[in-house]
Formats: sequence, structure tokens, C-alpha cells
Amino acid sequence: MLNLSSFVQKAQQFLDPTQSLNITDSDRNPSKASLFQSQFRLPSSQHPLYEITAELTIPPPNATQGERDRDRGYQYAGKLHLSESYLCFSTTPSSFLQSASTQTSSIFTGQTHGGGPSGNGFTFPLSAVRRVERLHSQNFQFALAITTWNGISQDAAKEKDKKDLREQRITLQLAGTRPACERFCDGLKKGLRSNVGNVGKLKKVVSECYSEYLLRTEDQKNASPPDAGLGMLFKYPGDPKKLRDRAKMRLWAEYLRDNGRNLTLIRQPTFHKLIRVGLPNRLRGEMWELSSGSIYLRLENPTLYADTLAKYSGRESLAIDEIEKDLNRSLPEYPGFQSEEGIGRLRRVLTAYSWVNADVGYCQAMNIVVAALLIYMSEAQAFFLLSALCDRLVPGYYSTTMYGTLLDQKVFESLVEKTMPILWDHLVKSDVQLSVVSLPWFLSLYINSMPLVFAFRVLDVFFVEGPKVLFQVGLAILRINGEELLDATDDGAFISVLKSYFARLDESAHPKSENPKLRAVTRFQELMVVAFKEFSGITHSSITESRLKNKDAVLNNIESFAKRTAIRNLGPDSKLLSPDELGALYDRFYGVLYERQQRDHILRQEQARRGKNSRSRIPEAHSSDDHSIERGRVGLGPSESLMDYDAFREFLAGMSKWAISDAPSTPRRDTSGDKQGGFYNSFRRSDAAMSPWGAGPEPATHEFLERLFKNWDAGSTSTLTLQNVVSGMARIKGKRDIMGTINYFFELHDDDGDGKVDREGILRMSEALLFLSRRGLEGSLSPSNSTLTLNGDSLNGGSDAPGQSVNERFLGSVSAFIRRCFEYADPDHPQNQNAIQDVQERLDAQKLQDSADEELANPDAFAIGDDDDDDDDDDDDLLAMDSPAASPKSSAIRSDLLTSEPPALQLNPSSTTFQTDDDALARRRVSKAQSVKANAALDPSNPLHITLPTFRMVVLADELLEQFFESSFPASFHIIEGLSSSTTPTSASTLTTFSSLGMGAGRAVNAALGGAPGVAAGGRGLRGVLDNIVTDGMRVAAEVRRRMEEAQRELEKNALPGQRNDDDDEEDEEEAGFERSSGAGKGPAYRGDAERRSVRSSDRDLLTGADAEASDAMGRSTSDIGGSGGSGGSGGNGGSNTAAAGAGKVVGVEFDG
Amino acid sequence: MADSGNAPKPSSSVKLVLLGEAAVGKSSLVLRFVNNDFQENKEPTIGAAFLTQKCNLPTRTIKFEIWDTAGQERFASLAPMYYRNAQAALVVYDLTKPTSLIKAKHWVAELQRQASPGIVIALVGNKLDLTNDGAGSGGEGEGAGADGEGDARKVTTEEAKTYAEEEGLLFFETSAKTGYNVTEVFTAIANAIPETSLKTARGTGASHAAARSEEQRVNLNGARDPNAKEGCAC
Repeated sequence: MLNLSSFVQKAQQFLDPTQSLNITDSDRNPSKASLFQSQFRLPSSQHPLYEITAELTIPPPNATQGERDRDRGYQYAGKLHLSESYLCFSTTPSSFLQSASTQTSSIFTGQTHGGGPSGNGFTFPLSAVRRVERLHSQNFQFALAITTWNGISQDAAKEKDKKDLREQRITLQLAGTRPACERFCDGLKKGLRSNVGNVGKLKKVVSECYSEYLLRTEDQKNASPPDAGLGMLFKYPGDPKKLRDRAKMRLWAEYLRDNGRNLTLIRQPTFHKLIRVGLPNRLRGEMWELSSGSIYLRLENPTLYADTLAKYSGRESLAIDEIEKDLNRSLPEYPGFQSEEGIGRLRRVLTAYSWVNADVGYCQAMNIVVAALLIYMSEAQAFFLLSALCDRLVPGYYSTTMYGTLLDQKVFESLVEKTMPILWDHLVKSDVQLSVVSLPWFLSLYINSMPLVFAFRVLDVFFVEGPKVLFQVGLAILRINGEELLDATDDGAFISVLKSYFARLDESAHPKSENPKLRAVTRFQELMVVAFKEFSGITHSSITESRLKNKDAVLNNIESFAKRTAIRNLGPDSKLLSPDELGALYDRFYGVLYERQQRDHILRQEQARRGKNSRSRIPEAHSSDDHSIERGRVGLGPSESLMDYDAFREFLAGMSKWAISDAPSTPRRDTSGDKQGGFYNSFRRSDAAMSPWGAGPEPATHEFLERLFKNWDAGSTSTLTLQNVVSGMARIKGKRDIMGTINYFFELHDDDGDGKVDREGILRMSEALLFLSRRGLEGSLSPSNSTLTLNGDSLNGGSDAPGQSVNERFLGSVSAFIRRCFEYADPDHPQNQNAIQDVQERLDAQKLQDSADEELANPDAFAIGDDDDDDDDDDDDLLAMDSPAASPKSSAIRSDLLTSEPPALQLNPSSTTFQTDDDALARRRVSKAQSVKANAALDPSNPLHITLPTFRMVVLADELLEQFFESSFPASFHIIEGLSSSTTPTSASTLTTFSSLGMGAGRAVNAALGGAPGVAAGGRGLRGVLDNIVTDGMRVAAEVRRRMEEAQRELEKNALPGQRNDDDDEEDEEEAGFERSSGAGKGPAYRGDAERRSVRSSDRDLLTGADAEASDAMGRSTSDIGGSGGSGGSGGNGGSNTAAAGAGKVVGVEFDG
Repeated sequence: MADSGNAPKPSSSVKLVLLGEAAVGKSSLVLRFVNNDFQENKEPTIGAAFLTQKCNLPTRTIKFEIWDTAGQERFASLAPMYYRNAQAALVVYDLTKPTSLIKAKHWVAELQRQASPGIVIALVGNKLDLTNDGAGSGGEGEGAGADGEGDARKVTTEEAKTYAEEEGLLFFETSAKTGYNVTEVFTAIANAIPETSLKTARGTGASHAAARSEEQRVNLNGARDPNAKEGCAC
């Protein structure tokens, strides 16, 4: 049963990678591993491997003196957990089995009654376990005796010392079936063996703990004590007598003697009580380190701090500049920080951290916190504690957007509203913003708000109990001062009430009381009591819940602030675009980067997971990078802000039809919905298969795109900033004047900037024009011909007829453009003029010969050999190639494509192919017109060029080209509205055939990596595929018909007799393909239905195939839900039942509508 | 100690926020104004520091509630919390650091769009003591314009002043270290706050404040109040 349910869990992860990606979801359903890590404060390298119910027996303190019979010692029932390198015992009965419900594995986040999340028990590194013995107990019980390396640093321990150094030996009685116990012990054995090598690290870490020194026998004390912070040099804050430091130290010494020290410490109720009364100065650092778990980070890599400093020594950074500014202003009242010694330590810790966590770098307030830590601990200890703070205790507080800080302020406000409604109403009424007061409390962990001695008391508890303490204390402060705060009516008064309260924390809370005991209670003690008694309901889980509730709002706020700021700070050319356009550009820019990052992450994660799965049986291997899942969102901190070429393509594909590839790809879902700051949601919502382009259409690649990219890349960095994109867009859409656009287009193709575009360039230009127009023209065209104004919609599939004629005419315009360009081009070398006549005929003949040969050589593939340009986007160029349309050859290709033979897909046409085609086109015209000049234009030995004025003239000579530059080119960038799914010419368009569809859909379902990730999405995606098939079919039909007619016309007009025969053949073939694909491809109104029908019947096989697969996936994921819902036990059977039901339902839903 | 007048003048409080790049001297300006002091190592500003100071005008007393914000870039997202409802803002840049003026312009734009309408904004170039003109003594620096390029000066008076005029801002160059022009800034702001916005609740009304502050500025450039320096009110 256990196996089965863990299989279900695994299957779930396997099937639905987006689940772990989804921010909200991963917060709401944290992985078992991360819960385990939080409970025991372990590093992210640890995963719960085995667990078993057990009873812990700790021998009584005086066991050595032989009073064992009278007192059996302390016993605790709880759970024993084993991870890769830790053996943990906790009285909190949480379970991290795969089958455990979330509730059972997060029990520790509830009320902890002072024990902290890990409760009573221990957290032993396996390297600290010296010996494990199986006890032969009488009752067939399975008991282990564990001896630790307690006091390992006293390596010089001689025989006589060993008597003093009482061996720490605890007994664990495992409660479980024999096989379960055996399994656990096997795991423990394995773990112990693999951790033997870490004893060295253990020794080093332990030797820096003050407890080791404290517990030495008197004669060993001459050794210098380990560093327990600046306090050893500059005195600890507060009066030690008043703090009763010695008494506390004695109590601790006793506790540590009996219960182990540092890494081998056992937590018993006394431990938590001792912490509540305040830690003694010299042990404070060590206990902070222990209770926060940062000591385990140090154990993992004891030299990281020193190594980091050495590695980056002498390097500079922005963070370092910022740190330098604040060094003199960090707890300046403490003498240690008026000295070079203290400042040096602070500088090193902050600098080292800014290097290891460059995303956070340095944030003001970190200086204060670290300064406080350094009073009680060594630099290395403070360094690791700082990372425990930033990563786990107060995540996001110090990030570049400080979203954690802002989020917790929202949470705090909501708690105040809930617990103190009267005060809250007062705050609202008098327009006092609570966070101006409370933000510094949280950000600097009260260190800057309260007198140090009290702030440290808060910290003592904070490190054990976690961030909820900050809230509890904050609420208690407001509650205690409630009366006075109700009198304050503005920020100033509010602040001064609290200021004076903090200044009198050491005074009696009840100075006028008759009762001397009550009189002795200080205000601080009162604060602690109120915080932890009255607000004991504030738990980690209630905080987490509230954080989840507020997270999106806070992030959206930050993001809209960032957006506002970024847009405002764009250069002057941004003024050429409207604010809406700028906003949309910003959203698109960051949206694309974000989505790409997320996809990247999933793919990488998937790879890692597959790698790990094959190697070991560690479940949830991916959870170690839970933190990184959250990266990328602008609001969460440093995010990608540079766009590379691929991202640029994707960016354009989101708003320009021509930038979408013609290759079949995953269907596009409507990601352009909710634009209002919600563009991040689109990805979360979309459950698309993980194609490299996610849910969007596959972007095209074309020489023109590269040119555009290069042109926008002002700094030649091969990446675009938002500024680059805005400036680039401003040049196209900004001025709205035709001359500007014409100039810009010319400039794009003028590689060396000498004002001349050569033959290649002319061809590229025409190619670009065809590329841009291949999905039809937009904008206002031909006002003279009113039917044509419809053509903005021409691609909707509905009203093709009028639009097509414009597009057709545009093809004519482009060929005229080429002709004219060559006609008016200036020769580079005037003397060449003479040679033209001679060269011409020879060339002409030869070319015809060449192309004929090629046709013979590749009757079906039609790969024209001379493609020196390795542009490898087949599909684009396929389309581009047949765009000239006049060529009968392209019809031949088309027919091949329609039958979708593999050879056809292997076609390697490139821009050169297209050029050759152009040549052919031009050649035919030449032979018709017998124009010497144009032929000379084709001769590579006669270099020529056009200049901007020529280009302009040629463009303006043609009404359509003029309109293209006037409006349709700028209008083709749909910055604001984007391409909604209905207007998107989806994928395959002309290329999808029904036989190739199997492939396309298969790909959609089977996704990028090994098929697994996308399966779940397949079921829902299928509907989209269907729709695409329908529209594609229509398009194929229409397109083919058009091409055919064109070809026919062209043939009748001017084809040579020899070619004619070939064409007829091809035509037949094409006709056949055409008939097959769409029977009744004529009446537009009727066509759709016909298509739909034909799609369904022809694709039955595919559908049932994918259907089976998809519903299987759905079924399985449904069963997961069922499995995890029913807590633990009922995993297998109930799950599979649900699966069957789920599958049935899915089929019904998906294919009935 | 603060008040020398015998008849109680009408008193009202004004919320003022300081914005600007890190280390341009925002806190120092406030410290100079509030305590007439200059300190190298003051406790850092976490979020924002809150101070108050009274400013006596001939007809009324203005009590400034000063929000001195943290300058570090990442604290920028907290700024709206502090400039919310502010009636006046001091946008500070460092005369020796051109980037700080750019940042200041960003802040001005932010305030003009996001803060309460009619907020009085003063652009202040600090660290005049590091330049040749106005290097220290309050008297001679008066009116020192673009004529002399100082040692460390990187932002000309002309440039900043032109910008301030375009945007309708008060403009001063100050030195928190020497105290030059510091009180003048606050007095000018106090005078520029329209009476209407003082009577009503904070942050409301006073849509014509910008126009008013313009005319006020003309008056203020010449007439400096000799009794400008006030006692500490907090």
C-alpha cells in the first residue's frame, strides 16, 4: 500500500510539472521535503527518507552514580526521522511520508507552546553518532541505543577525563512492524556509513562553539575560549548582574552537561524555558545558531565564509559601496562598532554575504541585524545565520523589491484589524498608516526599535519559534498601548507614543500595585506575556495563510510601481508612443522574459528529475530548488531584464502575425486575456505542454527579424533592454509618417550604412516585404477600393475573398518593386554597361539549363542546391518561396507538402532558394520583355545598388507599397491588443495536412521532454488542436485554390511550352491533394462546416490515440487528488476508481462540445 | 524657547517628505534643520525616520512633520507609503554627482503623478561646501550662479534651475555641513504651502498650489527671514 501510494504521488509530479511551478500552489502545498526541512531547520539538501514512531528514553542525569533503578529517566513518544545526513526525533507527531496528508506533515506550524516547530527531541547529524547498538530486549521490542560524539572536541581526553565526560547514550524504542524497523535500521546503517567522512567537519564546527569551552574541566580552561562575539572584547550590552547572567550560565551548563551540547543537544522542556528567560551572553550566539538551524548550514560547508572572502578578495561591487556607506552607522552606540575591529567584522560578513547571494546583495537594515549578531557570535556564525534569515526566517525582507517586508506589513495590518478592531478603526479614521511605524520593527527585527537588551530577548524566542514571534510582539505592543494610541490622531503622535513606550520597557508594568511581586514585573515581561499568551493563536500556519492571501496583491502593487517607474524613466523617444502602448510593451517585454524563464526552469527541473530518478530513489528531488521557482517575477526581486534573439522572436510573435512561424506547433491558448497587471497569471493558468515556446505560437525566424533585432540592439550587446525595444518600436510606430518608415526600412537593409543597398539587399528587401505580407496586410489600404478595407480581418478565415485580392496585388507590387529597383539601380562600375549585352544571353541560357537540371535531379524534394545561407527555418521559406506565386515550381512543392511526404519536409529551401526563385521570376519577365537592363541586374559580375531616393521613388511609384509603408507595416505591430487567438493564424496554416496532423498533435501531447510533462495538458489541449485543424484546413484549401488559379493564369500568359507539360502534371497532383484535403472549399459560409466534418472523420485515429493518452493522464491526476485528499491510508484502491470515473467524464466533456 | 511672538499665531502642521538618491545628504539636511547639527555617523534610516520641527512665519506657525526616507534604491517601492498625503516634498540631489540629479528628476515625476495634487516640491542641490562657490560662509554664496565652476561641482546651477523652472519647483543649493541655505529651504516651503490646504485636512484641496508656489518663489528669493532658525520642537 505504501508503495502504491508513493507511486501515485510520483506519478502526479511526473504528470503535472506545472504544479510545482505554480507559485500559489507550491506555497499552498509545499513539498514534504520542504516541510521536513522547516520543521527541523535543516538545509535544503535533506529529504525525509524514513520515519518511524518511536519512544525516546534519556537516562536520568545521575545515571552514572547508579541510581538507575529509582528513576528511569525521561521518556518521550514521538517520531523518528531519517534524512541523508540527519537523524531527528520530535515529539511533534508530524509525518512526511508520501502518503501523509498535508495536514499531518505540517502540524508543526500550529501552536507550539514555546517548543518551537521541532518540539522536544533532537536533531543529530549522522556524523555525530558514534555507535548504534541493537538492544536485546525481552519483549520482542526493537530498541536501539545510540551513543554520540558528545564533546568530540576534547580529543585530548584521557582516561581520567572520560569519567567526567559522561558518554551521551540514549535509547530509542521503535514501534512498528519488524520489517518496518529493519528497513529503518538499514537506512540508518547506510546513512551512517556515508557520513563517516564528515566527522572532520563536525569537529571543526563544534570547536567553534562556546559550549565546548564551557564544559571543559577546570584544568583545560587555560585554552583560549572560542569566539563568542564582540561582546567578549567590548562587553555585552546591559548589566550582567541585572540580567543575572551568571545564574543563567550555571543553569545552562547543567542542562548541557545532562543533555548534550551544540550538535548533540537534546531538547527537553527545560531547554525552551531557559530560552524564554533570556540567553546568557556567551551562549547566546551558539543557541541562536542551533535553534535557527544555521549551524547545520555551517556544518555542511564549514569553510564557506573564509573561502568566499578569499575568493572575492579585492573585488568591488555596488553592494560593497552601499555597505561601506552604512558601516559607521550600524549600532553606533555600541562601543564595538566604534572600533576598527567591529567595523571590520561587519564589513566582512556583509560583503561575503553579498557575494554568495548576489540577488539580495545588501539591503539597509541588514547592517543593523548583522551588527547585533556579531555582538554574540563569530563572523562565520553570523554569516550563516544571515543566510538562514534571508532564506527561511524572513524571506524576501531584504530582496531588491522588499516584497517580503511589504507582504508582512499587509499581514500585520490584517492581524491588527482582526484582533483589535477598535484600534484599527481608529487608525483608518485618523488616516494613520500603521506600516510607517511597524515596518522598521520587522525589517530590523526590533533591534533598532527597542533597547538592545530587550531586542535580544525577542530574538532569542524568534530563532526558536520563527517569524510569527515578530507578529506576536508587534500585536502585543499595540495592545498594551491601545488606550494611548486611541488618543493619537496622526502619524507623529502615534510614533511618539510608541517611542516613549520603548524607552520605558525596563520600568515596572504596575508601579502602583500593592503587590510587590506584581510591582516587580517589568513592562518588557508584560510584553512577552501578552505576546505569547494573549496572541498564542498567531501561529506559523495562520501567518502563512495570510501571506498567501495577500501575496498577489502585494506583488501586483510592487510590479505596477516598478512598471510606472520604468516607463517614466524611459528616454525621450518613448514619448512617441502612447502611454498605453508603453504599458503594453512593458508587459509584453517582461511577460516574455518571465515565461521563458519559467519554461527553462521546468525543463531543467525535469531533466534533473529524470537524472535523479534513474540514479536514486530520493523522492521529490526537485524540491531543493523550491526557492528558485519563485524567481523571475518582477515583484520578487532581481529578474531577467535583457532579451536575447529568441526571446525577441517570441516577443514579436505575440503581437505581429508575420512573426509567427508557419510550422505546426502547439496550439495557442488565449494568453492575451487579463492584461491589467495580470500577465503573470497567464502562465500559471496555462497548462500547455512544454514546447520550447510554451503555450504561445512558435515564432518565425527570418533574416528580417535578425535585422530588426540588430537594429534595435543599440549597444551591440546581442541583447535588448526595455529601452532598446521602446526606442526601436518608437521608430516604427512613433511618427506615423510614411517617409520615416521608408527611410527606416531602407536603413534596416543598408548593412554598412553607406546609403546604398546592393543587389543582395534589394532581394532581401523584397523578401522581407513578402515575409511581412505573407499573412495578409493590415491597416487601411486602398481607400479607393472600399471592398478592400476589410482586409484587416482577412485572416480571420471568414472573409478571405476581398483581402486576397489585395494580397495578390501586393505580390505583384513586390515583383514590380524588384523590377523597378533593378531598372533604376545605379551600377557600381559604369563601364560594365557595355558588357551587359554579351553577358546577358549566355547567362540566361545557362540559368535555364541549371534550373532544369535541378528539377530533374530532385523531382520531389526540390532542394535547390546553392543555399549558402544556412537559414534553417524550412517552413517560413517554404511559404516565402511560394509567395511569388507566379512560379509553377512552387505549386509542385505545394503538392508535395500536401501529401506530406517526409522528403518534402526535409526540403532545405532557404532565403537563397527564394532568391533563385526570384531570379526565375525575373528571368521570365525578362524573356517576355526582352529587357537587357533587368538581365544585367541579375548578373553577379555587374555590381549595382540603389540609394535611398531611388528606393523611395520605387516605393512611392506603387500605391500598395506606399500604403504598406504608410499604414500596414506600422499597424502590423499589435502592441496593445496583441494577437487574440481568433485572429492568430494558427501554426501550420498552409502546411498542416491531415496526415501530418497526427504528428502535430502527438507533439502537442507529448511535449518537449520525453513526453511526460505534457500528458496532463493533452486532454484539454486537444480541443484547441481540433479548432486549428478546422481553420487550417480551410486555409489550406483556400490557399491552394488561389495558387492554382494563379499558376494557371501565369502559365497561360507566358510559360514556355516545355515547362507547360511539367506544370500540368504537377497541377494534377496538386488538384488531387487539394480534393482530398477539402472537398467543398468554395462557399465561405458553408466551408467551415464541411471542414469540420472532414477533420473529424479523417482524424478519428489520432483522436482516439490522444484521447486514450490524455484521459489516462486526467484519470491519473484525478486519482492523485483523491489519494492525497483521503489522508494517507486509502491511497490505492479509491484512487483508481476515481481514475476510471475521471476518464469517463473527461471524454464526455472534451468531445461532446 | 521656540516662540518669540506674544500673540498665539495660527499653527498648522505640514507633512513633508524627503526623497533622493542614497548619500545625497537627506538626513543631514533634516538634522541641520531640526537640531542645527551635523553628524558623520547617524543611525541609518530604516524605511523612514520621522522628525518634527516648527517654523515661524510672520503670520503663522508651521509644524513640519518630516519623513526622511531611506535612499537605497530598493527602498523606493516603500516611498509611496511615505509621500502619501504629503503637502511638501524635498527632492535632494548631490551637486557633485550628475546621476543624483537624474534620480531626482525621476522622483519629481513620480511625485507629480502619484502624490497629492498641489504638493509643493523643492529641488535641493546639496553639498555646496564641496564646490568653490558658496564654500561655507552663508553670506557670500548668495546668488552665486553658474559663473564659477567649483572643484567638485558636476551639476551647474543653470541646468538644475532651468529644470526647476520648467517643472514649477522651488530651487535651492545648500550645504548641510555648513548650514548654508538650509533653513531657507524650509521657510520657502512653509510660505509656499497654500493657506487653503492648511485649513482643510491634510493632503486635500489646494489644486492651484503649483501656480501659487511659483509666485511665492519670486518673493522668496530676495527676502530671507532673519529669524528663520527655530528651536527644536520635538
